[in-house]
Amino acid sequence: MASSVRGLLLCLSAVFFCLQCCQAKTVQFDWNVTWVTANPDGLYDRKVVGINGQWPLPVVEVNKGDRLVVNMYNGLGDKSASIHWHGMFQNGTNNMDGPSMVTQCPIVPGSSFTYDFTVNQNGTYWYHCHTNYCYPDGYRQALIVHDTEAYFNDMYDEEFTVTMSDWYHELIEDIGPSFINLANPTGAEPLPNAFLFNDTLNTSISVQPDKTYMFRLINIGAFVGQYFYIEDHSFRIVEIDGVYVEPQEADILYIAVAQRYSILVTTKSTANKNFPIVTVADSALLDTIPSNLQLNNTNWLEYDASAAHPQAVMKVAVATELNPFDDVNLVPWDHEPLLPDPDLTIDVTVIMQDLGNGASYAFLNNISYTKPKVPTLYSVLSSGDLSTNSEIYGEFTHPYVLGHNQVVEIILNNGDTGTHPFHLHGHNFQVIERAPPYGPNFYSYLNGDPVPYNPSNHTAFPKYPARRDTLVLPPQGHFVIRFVADNPGVWFFHCHIDWHLSQGLAMTLIEAPQQIQERVSIAEDQYAACRAGGMQHEGNAAGNTEDFLDLQGQNKQVKWLPAGFTDRGIIALVFSCVAAFCGMAFITVYGMTGLETKKSKKREAGEDSNSN
Amino acid sequence: MGNNTVFAVTVFFICFRECIETTVVVSVLLAFLKQAIGGPDGDPATHKRLVKQVWLGCGLGLFICLCVGAGMIGAFYGLGTDTFSSTEDIWEGVLAIISSLIISLMGAALLRVSKLQDKWRIKLAKALEQQKNAEKPSKGRFKRWLEKYAMFILPFVTVLREGLECVVYVGGVGLGLPATSFPLAVVCGLLAGILVGYIIYKGGKETSLQIFLIISTCFLYLVAGGLFSRGVWYFQNHAWSKVIGGDASETGSGPGSYNINQSVWHVNCCNPELGGGGGWGIFNALLGWTNSATYGSVLAYNFYWIAVMVGYGAMLYRERRGSLPLVDPVFNRIGAFKARVKAFIFRESLEEPTPAEASGAVGHTGMMEKTSEVGVSTVRQAEP
Repeated sequence: MASSVRGLLLCLSAVFFCLQCCQAKTVQFDWNVTWVTANPDGLYDRKVVGINGQWPLPVVEVNKGDRLVVNMYNGLGDKSASIHWHGMFQNGTNNMDGPSMVTQCPIVPGSSFTYDFTVNQNGTYWYHCHTNYCYPDGYRQALIVHDTEAYFNDMYDEEFTVTMSDWYHELIEDIGPSFINLANPTGAEPLPNAFLFNDTLNTSISVQPDKTYMFRLINIGAFVGQYFYIEDHSFRIVEIDGVYVEPQEADILYIAVAQRYSILVTTKSTANKNFPIVTVADSALLDTIPSNLQLNNTNWLEYDASAAHPQAVMKVAVATELNPFDDVNLVPWDHEPLLPDPDLTIDVTVIMQDLGNGASYAFLNNISYTKPKVPTLYSVLSSGDLSTNSEIYGEFTHPYVLGHNQVVEIILNNGDTGTHPFHLHGHNFQVIERAPPYGPNFYSYLNGDPVPYNPSNHTAFPKYPARRDTLVLPPQGHFVIRFVADNPGVWFFHCHIDWHLSQGLAMTLIEAPQQIQERVSIAEDQYAACRAGGMQHEGNAAGNTEDFLDLQGQNKQVKWLPAGFTDRGIIALVFSCVAAFCGMAFITVYGMTGLETKKSKKREAGEDSNSN
Repeated sequence: MGNNTVFAVTVFFICFRECIETTVVVSVLLAFLKQAIGGPDGDPATHKRLVKQVWLGCGLGLFICLCVGAGMIGAFYGLGTDTFSSTEDIWEGVLAIISSLIISLMGAALLRVSKLQDKWRIKLAKALEQQKNAEKPSKGRFKRWLEKYAMFILPFVTVLREGLECVVYVGGVGLGLPATSFPLAVVCGLLAGILVGYIIYKGGKETSLQIFLIISTCFLYLVAGGLFSRGVWYFQNHAWSKVIGGDASETGSGPGSYNINQSVWHVNCCNPELGGGGGWGIFNALLGWTNSATYGSVLAYNFYWIAVMVGYGAMLYRERRGSLPLVDPVFNRIGAFKARVKAFIFRESLEEPTPAEASGAVGHTGMMEKTSEVGVSTVRQAEP
């Protein structure tokens, strides 16, 4: 409740500012990131990552064109961090993107880092930590970019920001080590303990009859996608992931982690009843469902605070029976047409598999992303003419060098039975194909072999494809996306389930490296973060500054599981066979000896009788 | 133990072995009767009566055994031992190791089944000797009755004893097996045992019989070695299931279904545990094949064979060089103790076992009696 009120106030003040002056301004924050204690689900006090002693974290609200400056000091003491501004294109400021070892060094405890970039886009975004798995500890919040020119500006009366998130009681540093572990060969993801709504539970959003409200829905969770609907209310989708779309009527959404939707809800004309706003966790993602985990949560669209606040009545037995609106069918407001045939096609398949240490890892084709020794962006900047050679970025960062302004197509096949919300940094992309679609057939490829994309046999591509920055890959299905490589930078393409990212479900796109060298310059305090952590900020993926093609010492993924009989297996088998044959030889000798002694006895007896 | 649902190899061997022992006794008796009073100058009427007694005793013993056996196995499965057979790894491991020990100890006896004839000839001679003394008035009526119907009692008791032993063994070994794997194995075992017994009775060529016995003993030991290794494997699998929280089955036979740190070899096929195992299930039951060998199971298999070699080496040594130091004195003690107990129970005069008996054939059978006792007691411990 408190957060929604504050959200409201912030909104109002933002609107006020908008009215006052429409000129671009600089929004500056000094953030001291420290541990604080919070208990958002009322079940458990835990340490969370706070900003300036506060949690829930501040919602950042800026206007389109504003310059955002955040001086972040890592006061956690025991943990490195960084901030990724999810959905920001960072055109010309690739070094402000935030993922550790991709565009920057992790900010070690006691050091600071300044994020400074101009927001030239609009819509609903969020920010979160992007170093190892650090954001499930609470280090994530909404980032709203207001736009005075949005086509829907005069279609609503008031707006609310709604975040939903999975929530763990244990610190990630305690869960993490047992996740990628010999004892978890199936790669079963840690189970959340609760699901939060605006970082709390059982809240009400106060509305008045016959008005229209805009909800900015953001899944800021680390793992579990959520279904969203409001009982007896349908709504119009007007924005996905910062892209305005033609209004589209829908009544239920599936919001994967990192995805955003803006919806317009028109209230009823009678005001005597409160309606549940229902979020249902996608239990298909969960390995097991603990009996004390509340999967469906009710909050309220409150018409009358004194009326009853009824709990939602579930109409389905399991979440997967809900049929959410298929986001692929949305049409961007700007009607950007389908991009032409690609200049570069990247065709990769998601695989989950155990490696030689018995732990479960994730792969795109057969590479499990493994951090380089030097952030890839810094390798670009220090490698001169060799920057266009993907070898220098190391085999296990899974690098692809994209030419400037190329049309790039990524075909992503899912060889795994889970859903994977894939996120591309630095872009939103056209979704030109996805199978199976959301709806009753979403899980239809589960029985049988994975169905890869077939370029010569696919449904017709949409004329004006939906664009977004995070897209769900269906179980054993596929999707195809296109974008223009017009944003020089090192961009991470990864599964946004933080557990899967830690298992290596990621790849690195090095887009127009020569243009990066021309346009991106690194502030001294950013290199200082590397030095503070004892890391290099020059050299190839192996940290070699002399010979960029020499990758000796690069970080590698764990060795593959030995297949079948290795030397020791053969030796063991031979030994066992020899032992068995020796043993049987003893038995035979013993058995035959018995016979001989008997015979000799008989002979003796015969001799005796003869002598008589 | 493999998940063969049709044919329990171990059950087959147990029935086979026990049946041989019984047929040997019966054949010795019949041969003896034929020799003593069945000849041309014998008493055909008495002979006929005594032969009838032998078969009657045999039949009655067999009948009682079948009843008891059927009852016991029925009770086991009726009372829901299926809870035990439900892949409880630790339970399977214990059973595998127990069966392995039982089979190993029995194997030696099977190898020397021809020796049984000698053993029973001596027993029969003793019985007759006592019958001669039966006229003494000091004996009680019961004793006299016993002696009168010795030709009935002896096969009856033997069949009963071997049969019950068989039931207990089968019960112990077979607890982890599906009930469907029993009938065929039992019938085959009995038929094979009777066949071999008949060959012995007919005085078939002893050499070929002995070779046959050696081959079947080797098989028996292969099975036992496999079981022993399997038992250890089950323990390790149990530990692994505990580590990963009991979802080893979810991973099938692929990565994650085994502990890579303990693995000696692992092939993603040929799993004898899944889907009945097919041919691999039989391969597993006979030779202890596993698609996922651990250090424990490989070491257990090799140590098993080393133990077999040491055991047979010791027996060979004793046969050739006389008594073993350390080991034989212990066996003699046990033998003496048993004799005393027996004497106490039957109120007979104590016969001190002669040191000469300790070596060679008779001493050997004495040891086997002792070891089979061990087998029985372990089985009893295993019963819930």
